[in-house]
Amino acid sequence: MTAEGDRDRIELPDTIELPRLLDLFDLQTAEYTGIAPFYERLAEGRLSTTRCADCGEVHFPPRVVCPGCLSDDLAYVDLPDRGELFAFTEVRAGGPVGFEDDVPFVVAIVDLGDVRLSTRIDDARGEDLAIGDPVELKVVDVVGPADLERVWFRFVPVAD
Amino acid sequence: MATTRNVAILGGGHTPWGTREATWKDLAQEAGKATFDAVPGIEPSDVEGLFVGTVQPERFANQSHLAPLVGELLGVEATKMIARTELACASGQAAIRYAWLAIAAGQLDVALVLGVEKMNLPGHMAEAHSSMLNVMDREFDGGNFSNAPPFFALVAQRHMHEYGTTREQLAQVAVKNKNHAAHNPYAQFQREVDVDDVVDSFTIAPPLCLFDCSGITDGGAGVILASEDVVREVAQPDDVAWITGSGQASLAGNSMNNLPSFSSWPQATIAAENAYEQAGIEDPLAEIDVAEVHDCFSISEIVEYEALGWAEPGEGGQFVEDGRSALDGDIAVNPRGGLLGMGHPLGATGVSQALEIVNQFKGAVEPARRVDDPSVGLTHNLSGTASVHSILTFAREVPR
Repeated sequence: MTAEGDRDRIELPDTIELPRLLDLFDLQTAEYTGIAPFYERLAEGRLSTTRCADCGEVHFPPRVVCPGCLSDDLAYVDLPDRGELFAFTEVRAGGPVGFEDDVPFVVAIVDLGDVRLSTRIDDARGEDLAIGDPVELKVVDVVGPADLERVWFRFVPVAD
Repeated sequence: MATTRNVAILGGGHTPWGTREATWKDLAQEAGKATFDAVPGIEPSDVEGLFVGTVQPERFANQSHLAPLVGELLGVEATKMIARTELACASGQAAIRYAWLAIAAGQLDVALVLGVEKMNLPGHMAEAHSSMLNVMDREFDGGNFSNAPPFFALVAQRHMHEYGTTREQLAQVAVKNKNHAAHNPYAQFQREVDVDDVVDSFTIAPPLCLFDCSGITDGGAGVILASEDVVREVAQPDDVAWITGSGQASLAGNSMNNLPSFSSWPQATIAAENAYEQAGIEDPLAEIDVAEVHDCFSISEIVEYEALGWAEPGEGGQFVEDGRSALDGDIAVNPRGGLLGMGHPLGATGVSQALEIVNQFKGAVEPARRVDDPSVGLTHNLSGTASVHSILTFAREVPR
């Protein structure tokens, strides 16, 4: 038997690059996703989604096939950049990996008319908000670890 | 109802639930041993089908292909059918469902169903929070860091806003279930609490506090299902739980962006109505004696009273306040302790709920949480953003 100090070793790296599977955000270019136009528009400050050219259904999130009629003839349409708070809460514990210290933050459902989407409300504490409050789109940059420019959307309170 | 053969759950076993110094494989072995120990007359060599409910072993235990691994660990040769089931928080019930269907269809006579989850990774609590967000639409919900507690907080806010449900009524669900768990030696949380304890516990996401939330739990549970022929060979036919009905529904939505409602669960109503019809249940409130429903959060149980047809829309809060879901109420709801008291090792929960129905039928539970002579039972799970609801009904009497 080899003495303890003389054994061969299995050496693990100190750090492992964040695997793609653990990244909450998709790669956003056409090389990686069929909804790249959504992200391109978002980078320009426009929140958009797909509308079916055949049956007229407006989807959110954007699709490559219409869940209403299975058509793949879809067109991008802009969504309003203002909406109303349908529901919200302030998360005070339980951020995901890498964002443990990001709390508190406000998650919400915002009613934009054609769609009711899940999002975050920045620049507010939960106690400052009420159902029905007007909110406005805000585009944020997603930085690292992918060597690509990425964006995401949030909303902020706005005066009536 | 189109099944061809009667199927019963003979019994099963349980590991202690909580933060366990044990691996996924340890828990599977403990649960398997407890199951075979509790079901005399069935040996591992009798098992023809093996079904394992587990949700996130790829993340929590870095392991896939779980069902054959369980076969190896327990010496079970599955000669007819083997599968792992994943339906988020309903994975355990999904495993029971497939075992039941395989036996009912005549494909096999004896199945082992195991539910196992390892969730606590010391120093890495955030892993559990991440794994709860990828059961929604990871891209469009996860990007907002939304996971289970905030989603159910939104449901609670809408239910309170639309119906006037109170903070105290939410707490009463937690008090009821946690006080049952205080008498369950397998529970993660075995301490009695009162309404003040619940509303004064740490606020996770208003209006939900820590005690409104189920735990992050390591644990396993197992049951043996068998055909009527085998049941009559190895057990008394009135000392088991016969599966009498099933319902399951999902309405083209999983992401928080595409749910039909934030204050009601029409999927659960569809599932319940189908299950009641199959089981011949005309008046659920009068006929069901014991129910294990998915109280992942206190608000969930209130919405379920309504969706399952036990209370009118908006009156779920009053239902618990009036004691109608208490041990001696119209329906004894969650005498096991619920997810709020037992904890919620995702894939194991549905199996543990079914085991509770069998044990209640047998009278084999602690007296403080024993239902008086039950003969009809129900288990319910929701999964994801409550986008799927799964229901099974059980009876002590052999179905005709």
